[in-house]
Amino acid sequence: MTVITSFERLSEEEKHQRFMERIEAGEKIEADDWMPEEYRLTLIKLISMHGISEIMGALPEKEWVPKAPSLRRKLGIMAKVQDEMGHGQLLLRVAEDLMAPLGKTREEIMQDLFKGDLKFHNVFHMPAPTWGDAGLIGWLVDGAAIITQTNMLDASYGPYARALKRICAEEVFHAQHGESIILALAEGTEEQKEMIQGALNRWWDALLMFFGPDNASTTGTSKQDITIKYRIRTKTNEQLRQDFFTKYVPRILSLGLKLPDETMHYDETQGKWVYRQPDWSQFKEIIRNNGPKSKERLRLRELSYRNNAWVREALSCSSAV
Amino acid sequence: MNHNGKGFYQVFEVFSRKNDTAPLQHQFSLLAPNHEIALVMAQENFMRREPVSDIWVVKRSDIRQMTEEEKEALKRLDNKDYRTTKGYGYLKKKWRQYEQQMLDEKEILSWKGEIQR
Repeated sequence: MTVITSFERLSEEEKHQRFMERIEAGEKIEADDWMPEEYRLTLIKLISMHGISEIMGALPEKEWVPKAPSLRRKLGIMAKVQDEMGHGQLLLRVAEDLMAPLGKTREEIMQDLFKGDLKFHNVFHMPAPTWGDAGLIGWLVDGAAIITQTNMLDASYGPYARALKRICAEEVFHAQHGESIILALAEGTEEQKEMIQGALNRWWDALLMFFGPDNASTTGTSKQDITIKYRIRTKTNEQLRQDFFTKYVPRILSLGLKLPDETMHYDETQGKWVYRQPDWSQFKEIIRNNGPKSKERLRLRELSYRNNAWVREALSCSSAV
Repeated sequence: MNHNGKGFYQVFEVFSRKNDTAPLQHQFSLLAPNHEIALVMAQENFMRREPVSDIWVVKRSDIRQMTEEEKEALKRLDNKDYRTTKGYGYLKKKWRQYEQQMLDEKEILSWKGEIQR
């Protein structure tokens, strides 16, 4: 009892200091623990965006379920789409517990998405016109996601770290699923090889943008300093992008593919990859839901939410009996 | 009840057991309108690959969780040697004087089968 009164008696500054000491000692913060408002709001923004991106990310891939070239490929991509929806469920739960004290629920998350207040990842605004795109998404988009997600496996917020641990374990399957499609095409006909080169050309800028701008001067805002301060992540956007190049550029080249950036090279003296910046004004437009597929996919999501309303309605009746 | 309103979805905590001898393990939480849907969702959300022999779903509102302050009282002081085998390690040397082996955890837990002379 004395412990409780003494904690309650702490001033906001003392609570803040205790909080920082906890995360700096590697302790995990749980949903009902005291946390600074900035920490809560940063996590809500990050995790609701991550969660909703998993769900929106299933849309370009699900287009390929009916068109997959074999039954095995169909089963593989179906499993992956199902995983993405599962990841969305996990992450939305984490966001919802953080939003509960603010009186917000899943319904508000969905409405914020439809209104355009809740953003989803730039890559999921892009078209996937060929089977090569389906493979490339699994290989490189998931590859980029693995780089950013593993960087947060030790996040100070316990529920997010635990969700990421589950997610990353399944991402290993996603990465290999993508590699399997890409390698089959890379060892196929000239036309198939061109298909993956075309997909790489289409996705390159979106992949670079995936990690976000180097700093706030590029796009006006960046949350990376806050997330690093609170030990949600450890590396900067640029460090993550460099890690992605280190892991994937040699693999891309080994398949005889060409990078759509002839200036790209590894600078030994600087110890980093030198590359041409994507058009960041285009990035801003895309995440404002003005990308090539933004409207269409949002509409698809909204339609399925509306078309399935009867299921929720029916269940709410049965639970009232 | 309005299906879009508050009170339709409830938070369920999901627990599962890998096999008949494994301990029950917390998996994660999910939203569902009732226990039956929660069980279906639990299987879909968390058991797509791993072997599983049993699943429990519990309404979070039925769980008494600890507060941040209460958890402070769980921290242990490192002065409990007398409760653990660590505090009795010296016996090994003692028994050696009597030309006997110490009955340690490994030895004792091996007794479920035939005892060898």
